Amino acid sequence: MTEPVLRTENLTKRFGGLTAVDNLSLNLPRGRLQAIIGPNGAGKTTFFNLVSGLLGADSGRVFFLGHEITGLKPHEISRLGIKRTLQIKSVFNQLSVAENLWVTRKASSRFLHPFRAASRDLETKARVEQTLAQIGMTALAHRPAGTLSYGDVALLEIGMALISEPRLLLLDEPTCGMSPAETERAVAKIRHLARTIDIVIIEHDMEVVFGMADDITVMAQGAVLASGSPKEIASDERVLEAYLGRPEDEDYVEDVAHA
Amino acid sequence: MRGSRVVMIDTLLLLAMNGLIWGLIIALIALGLSVIFGLLDVINIAHGDFFMVGTVLAWASLEATGNFWIGFIIVPLICLVLGALIQVAVIQPIRGVAALSIVATFGLSLILQEGVRMTFGATPRRMLPPISGTVPLFGIEYELYRLLAATLSLVALATFFWFLRNTKIGTWMRAVRHDRDTATAMGIPAKRVYIFTFAIGFALAGFGGVVAAPITTVDFRGGVDLLPVCFIAVIIGGLGNLPGTAAAAILLSLLEGIIQTVANPTVARITSLVLMSAVLLVRPQGLFKGHVK
Amino acid sequence: MTNRIVIERFVLVAFAAFMLAVPWVVPALVNTFWVSVISEILIWSLFAASVNLLFGYVGLLSFGQALFFGFGMYGVGIGIDQLGLSFWPAFGLGISAAMMMALVSGIFAVRLTWHYFAIITVVFSLIFYFIAVTMKPLTGGDDGINFRLPSTFSFGGSQWSFTDATFQYFFILATVSVCFYLMHLVVCSALGKAFLAIRDNDVRASLIGLNVYLLRLTAFVMAGFLAGVAGALFAFFGRYASAVYMFYHVSGEAVVWAIVGGAGTLFGPFIGTSLLIVIRELVSTRWEHHSLIVGMMAILVVILAPKGLVGLWRDGLDRLMSRDAGATTEFGTDPNLRVDP
Repeated sequence: MTEPVLRTENLTKRFGGLTAVDNLSLNLPRGRLQAIIGPNGAGKTTFFNLVSGLLGADSGRVFFLGHEITGLKPHEISRLGIKRTLQIKSVFNQLSVAENLWVTRKASSRFLHPFRAASRDLETKARVEQTLAQIGMTALAHRPAGTLSYGDVALLEIGMALISEPRLLLLDEPTCGMSPAETERAVAKIRHLARTIDIVIIEHDMEVVFGMADDITVMAQGAVLASGSPKEIASDERVLEAYLGRPEDEDYVEDVAHA
Repeated sequence: MRGSRVVMIDTLLLLAMNGLIWGLIIALIALGLSVIFGLLDVINIAHGDFFMVGTVLAWASLEATGNFWIGFIIVPLICLVLGALIQVAVIQPIRGVAALSIVATFGLSLILQEGVRMTFGATPRRMLPPISGTVPLFGIEYELYRLLAATLSLVALATFFWFLRNTKIGTWMRAVRHDRDTATAMGIPAKRVYIFTFAIGFALAGFGGVVAAPITTVDFRGGVDLLPVCFIAVIIGGLGNLPGTAAAAILLSLLEGIIQTVANPTVARITSLVLMSAVLLVRPQGLFKGHVK
Repeated sequence: MTNRIVIERFVLVAFAAFMLAVPWVVPALVNTFWVSVISEILIWSLFAASVNLLFGYVGLLSFGQALFFGFGMYGVGIGIDQLGLSFWPAFGLGISAAMMMALVSGIFAVRLTWHYFAIITVVFSLIFYFIAVTMKPLTGGDDGINFRLPSTFSFGGSQWSFTDATFQYFFILATVSVCFYLMHLVVCSALGKAFLAIRDNDVRASLIGLNVYLLRLTAFVMAGFLAGVAGALFAFFGRYASAVYMFYHVSGEAVVWAIVGGAGTLFGPFIGTSLLIVIRELVSTRWEHHSLIVGMMAILVVILAPKGLVGLWRDGLDRLMSRDAGATTEFGTDPNLRVDP
């Protein structure tokens, strides 16, 4: 029985009087594209923040491939192979696209050479070129990332995720704010990535979720409401009641449930 | 022996009283710094110089009118106007590069110091207290003016807090400080509040200058020494915690005064600075409980 | 290579040629006094560079670099005056003292960011300023200590020392140039790119695996090194060390120089420092209130030209060459990392 890629034990986080993540015990197996959905305030992003080390848990533990990562600092967790994107797309605006990728690649090395010119690092340069081709941004290579369109920033983030060779990728609303065309592009890239990397996505766009995910976990009020395959979730009464109350989703969900 | 111990206690009392009274004055000035820092997010390196300008204006108003007391009205008014002008000309335009506000206020500090040096001159001057005489207090003869200064500062502090609680502008200031976006959404004119806040910060420091002028030297460098103390009070009291800042100012001055009985003033200053560093590192929101940013 | 870079390289070569010829050209054009002014400019621009390294490349505004300048200065001053050291051991003492101090204070200071970092750097420098003033027998307080300068090199019978104005100039030029060159290497290196990333978005930097705290501390110690070298050179240059140079005014002026010149550029500190010191020298003979000009320039630059003179120059050049002026920032876009489509 292989280790789950991500496991939490009674993970809890409180902000003042509000319990954002409530005794969360999750078990996400390897090799499946996981989606986490839930209404606003369900604790999804807080959960990501806890796993990636940006927040410290009040109690509970987090395990990555069997190793405990509770309490580690963000850069330590990143070096173990967990990479994540943020809800509000953020890259290094004053660096060029190529430099963003370059620095992401080098970030996990133990030692950053202080005197050797970065341009002499041919191996990294080659990887950058390769990744640029993979995300189709070769033409934009030396544009400052701050001047990119929103969809391109999202692509760059995916490129940064790629170049760092993650073992687990946490994507926080990757298609948020994208046009339908951009969404399609992003979904295709993510699906392609999922063939080799374990991915967990937080998403609001039901079409994206139901079309892409192997497993769905529904969170509400900091705890797991339900989890299972898309079909199971679509026909789960509690989920429908708590979350999928929107008319557009209703029809879509019905289709999936009765497919 | 018993004789010298009495002298020591007398000195201790004297320095402690001086410290306490000076602390009240500093509290006024530090409050000005705190509202500027808390509301406008500006580190006002020139704040000590605002105080210095207050002392110089007090001296000038005395020279011009022969009446010391009228300074308490003229000087804060001038400072209000100056503060508003500076805010509009210097602080407002740099909202986009907040990190550089410290550079701008440093430049302002240079300008104020040189400006005063050019007009007022480089020689320090002393102002005589408007009322002389001493009063027996706790077994020592204590300067009457200092007691008056303490009273004036207390009144000013109380007025300021009352103003914040009970006037429209004061409430606006508290709202913008608490949550700028919501305040603007509710229709509060944030820009005007900023102008007013900076002006009031200058006025508070200027008022402190008038109060302090007779018990300190009036000199273009008079603000330099004061600046660290104000910052220490703001940090230890807690950013955004106005009563805490006032309390910290008073306690710190008292502490420095007491330390001065056994060590020289520089050692006292070093102690305060070390304390401030400790607070910054361990509990940056300040030592006092209150509303935290 | 872009046209702008070609022009800049040309300017750099011309500038280097000029600097090498100063001891002969300047007395011919103006007078010998200006050779020592240029020596001073070199020293202070190194100090401004230490501010620039932290602010322009890592995003940390330190208002207390005078502390490390002071340690470098007193390392040399006390080393020669009280410990009887000769030139090189005193130099070494100054630099190591400054770096040690930067390490120790950095461990604490770098845990803070933004305003609190600026404040604590001032506080640390003030604490040691007051300590220096108190320990008057050792440091001379605000009055300072004067000392005789040992020779720098002695081969066989001949001695080279700072009393020879030309040697002094070239020694300072060489040391400052080496330091600037080292900065250039760091900025172009992997470490430099990591600095830029942290400056840009420190949360994102930690998420990609950069140890933000350690990197900031590294930069802080490097800046302490630069300030310490400047302080040591200053002590040699003036045969003088005084607590006055540890006061926050000194730190503040360096910040102004760095920003006027152009934060985040290699030569910005030199340009800003030169401009303001030349103005000071020219103005102070006729008018004693030149600080007023410094103050006004500080405000004007922040409001009108926050990228400083180098920033203006680059934007201007780019516009002339009708490139998109915003596309190249003064920080990233290293053309050597460009990938040809």
